[in-house]
Amino acid sequence: MKRVLGGISLLLVSLIYLAPVLFMFIGSLKPDADVLVQAGSWRALWPDTASLENYRNVIARVPFGRYLFNSLFITVAIVAGGLLVNSLAGYAFSRLQFRGRNLLFAVVLALMIIPLEAIAVPLFYQVTLFGWRDTYIVQIIPFIANAFSIYLFYTYFLGLPKELEESARIDGAGVLHTFFLIIAPNALPAFASVAILTFLTQWGAFLWPLMVTSGDAVRPLPLAIATFHSLPPLQWGDIFAFGVMMVAPVILVFIVFQRWFVRGVVATGIKG
Amino acid sequence: MATGTCSKRSLPTGLLLSAPALLGLLLFVAVPFTLAFLLSFTNLRLGSPLPLEWVGWEQYRRIFSDPAFLRAIANNSLFALFVVPLQTTAALVLALLLNRALGAVKLFRTLFFLPVVFPLSLVAIVWMLILAPGPNGMMNAAMESLSLGAWESRDFLRDPDWALPAIMLTSIWQGVGFQMVILLAGLQAIPRELYESAAIDGAGRGRQFLHITLPQLRNTLIFVMLVTTMLAFRLFDQVQIMTQGGPLRATTTVMFEAVQAAFTRQQVAKGAAMTVALFGIVLIITWIQRRITREDREIA
Amino acid sequence: MRVWAHAGQEAERSTLESQVRRINEADLPFGVELTFIPERSYNAQVQAAALAGDLPDVLEFDGPYLSNYVWQGHLRPLGSLLSQETRQELIPSIVDQGTIGGKLYGVGTFDSGLGIYARKSLLTVAGVRIPNGPDDAWSSEEFKGALERLAKDDSDGAVLDLKLNYPPEWFTYAFSPLIQSAGADLIERPGYERSGGILDSPRSVGALKQFQSWLQKGYVDPNIDDAAFTQSRVALSWAGHWEFQRYHEAFDNDLIILPLPDLGHGSRTGQGSWVWGVTRNNPSNAAAAGFLEYLLLPEEILAMTAANGAVPATYSAIEGSMRYREGGPLNLFARQLTEGFAFPRPQTPAYPVITSAFNQAVQEIRNGKDVRTALSDAAAVIDQDIADNKGYPMPDEH
Repeated sequence: MKRVLGGISLLLVSLIYLAPVLFMFIGSLKPDADVLVQAGSWRALWPDTASLENYRNVIARVPFGRYLFNSLFITVAIVAGGLLVNSLAGYAFSRLQFRGRNLLFAVVLALMIIPLEAIAVPLFYQVTLFGWRDTYIVQIIPFIANAFSIYLFYTYFLGLPKELEESARIDGAGVLHTFFLIIAPNALPAFASVAILTFLTQWGAFLWPLMVTSGDAVRPLPLAIATFHSLPPLQWGDIFAFGVMMVAPVILVFIVFQRWFVRGVVATGIKG
Repeated sequence: MATGTCSKRSLPTGLLLSAPALLGLLLFVAVPFTLAFLLSFTNLRLGSPLPLEWVGWEQYRRIFSDPAFLRAIANNSLFALFVVPLQTTAALVLALLLNRALGAVKLFRTLFFLPVVFPLSLVAIVWMLILAPGPNGMMNAAMESLSLGAWESRDFLRDPDWALPAIMLTSIWQGVGFQMVILLAGLQAIPRELYESAAIDGAGRGRQFLHITLPQLRNTLIFVMLVTTMLAFRLFDQVQIMTQGGPLRATTTVMFEAVQAAFTRQQVAKGAAMTVALFGIVLIITWIQRRITREDREIA
Repeated sequence: MRVWAHAGQEAERSTLESQVRRINEADLPFGVELTFIPERSYNAQVQAAALAGDLPDVLEFDGPYLSNYVWQGHLRPLGSLLSQETRQELIPSIVDQGTIGGKLYGVGTFDSGLGIYARKSLLTVAGVRIPNGPDDAWSSEEFKGALERLAKDDSDGAVLDLKLNYPPEWFTYAFSPLIQSAGADLIERPGYERSGGILDSPRSVGALKQFQSWLQKGYVDPNIDDAAFTQSRVALSWAGHWEFQRYHEAFDNDLIILPLPDLGHGSRTGQGSWVWGVTRNNPSNAAAAGFLEYLLLPEEILAMTAANGAVPATYSAIEGSMRYREGGPLNLFARQLTEGFAFPRPQTPAYPVITSAFNQAVQEIRNGKDVRTALSDAAAVIDQDIADNKGYPMPDEH
């Protein structure tokens, strides 16, 4: 009985909690004029006049496919590049000996606390001088190397048993060989963790693209929806449809890879 | 971890492997940070034909006597002061509820984690409509039916007393799922035997929570709270989209002021000084974190 | 030849695209490569491109930034580029806006109109006088009375739309005419050296106190859905020419356009819009001249203003416009600009700071802050910036 009550209360809480999500999904199916007018009543959460008109409008008004591609391309490039570069560095710092290692690692730890926001202004100056304004590069390259990711890999690799490499070394395998064939497969949770954190951060990137992009050509979704929202006339149905198209792919990915999402997030929490 | 087996050969290898990451960090973190620091002592204005001048501490003197910037720091602090405990408590309560939901854990975990995959800009836009003024606004309507009509509908985002709390609520809504998943994992890692033996000793639910759950979750809680505090000081997206720092600077933040200075008013040096100040704040928080976790190690 | 333009409304964009296509097909000695840049971050983009030495040959920009770009040395004077005939055709507001230190640096193909849209039927029922032109505007007492009377007939008492949902620049564009009408201004002209004592003068404070009282009395709809006027929630909408089409569709012949209220020194209105300039990167004067001359042909101006609804930039194009010629529904906007009811926004490189400080002050006033304090703070910020930049000495090499 108690459990049933708990379940019901949890269901109620989650319904209230998800009201904004429902509001967006259902609003995206309604005529623009209804969205705001009905927002104060239960009808906001009931698709009485469902149509895909708003979705057609969005596609007609802006190059949505372009934005989606941009966001995916940029995020995937950062995640992939970041996994490679940062895991190698984490490996070097945790398992290899070289002169200056401790000093370098201390520097990496120190850099970990510098938020992007604190360097955004000069970084903007810098990449502009490189001539990178309004490109994919400017949204990708600066974010591949990441001190926090290095640190996550470092702590994870540190916890792996020494025997892994020793057996490899007996077989005469090189360092890269050892890393890719022995270490990496044993550190999948660390990779998942870094991949998901990077993905979540970069997928939502707003401040930086706001500063460095100008045209639709390379603009990612979060900025595109903010621009869309500020483009008159204000049509809430369209905006919600844009929002749904924007999160739907991620929600799908999230549901499919849920186990890894959770594991990744958890690994961060425990390690941190 | 020095094994001594690989001294000479891996001297270049280790460096080589870490080189791409180190180069990236140097170029895109260390150099711009140094630049921010240097620029903050000049009068640099975007595109100005006037010669660059060294102005010493002038920019800092100005920002720390600028009511807007001081208000921004106060707002960030208020934000942290409310959001960190509220969000953590909410996440903990949810995690505790979910921890007992057994079979349905996965379903609810999915539901509560959902907003985390929403980019903040989208969250901000959806919440602007939820917080719309008048009886048409969802929040106003909800408050009115909850208070049985006693609620007087208001324009949350344009009311100096309500705008910051409204942004706080928006942020908590988006962030709580992330914390919850971490705390849930922490809860599930607590050995069952601890509770069982406590139950044998006759400890009730409340005492079990105080004496087992909280101490066992301590590190996870500290982590979660510190990450949230850091994020609180970097608050920007919601402010830029929902309120533009208004009304009456009620929602301005350090980053919002910095972007305003550097881009809207083209005062790059002033913007740089503000971001260096932000770094100072983050540094202090990190230092406190180190202190707390060190104490923790000593206790353990 | 590279050309940058702002990504405005769709009709505007496709008009410019087809103009460029016609130029490219016309077998001229140059080709045009057009890039659209979003409006919101336009200036930041220009600054970044300038920093990277990557400015296009011909640049469109928002009028108030002209002096900033001239000061930074990005623009060339248009003097010899445009023919005498073309220059004589330009209406005064376009010339004023494009001229710095006696030289023409920017030329628009259209200008903006600002006024109060109203429903004739509602005004008549409420017994409110309908002004007959820019020199016949409501006095401040009349405006107050009109709000009061209209509010009596209104269910929620909110009868005025001030477009409070618009982005920051709107507040400078739409409400600086109010203080100008009271005999004050944002900054001293034409030297542009001092804002203190002018922006926070008693006249200016008085004007914005009236503005504040409209809000405090509940006359103003927050307009969060941008539909206060079209959904008949309000009788008056303080808005620009760009709303004509939509409003006209909603109310047809019941829609009238009135000048902003006269606070003592005559009705004033906003002006200024996007203008074209030629950058120092441009190697070929002939190409830039050909491009601008083409856009300024009467039929091309009319094609553009038919798309965006703006006021045509030349006398002959106004004559050719059904809407703006005498007797047309938007003739008021044309008269306001040709008969001296509009000042350009301050033509100084300090403009980004002026507008940011002023709209901050307007926001504060809107939220109930003491008007004098808000304006004094804004004036202090502006004067500080001018001092920091040594009074913005204009380069005299031109």
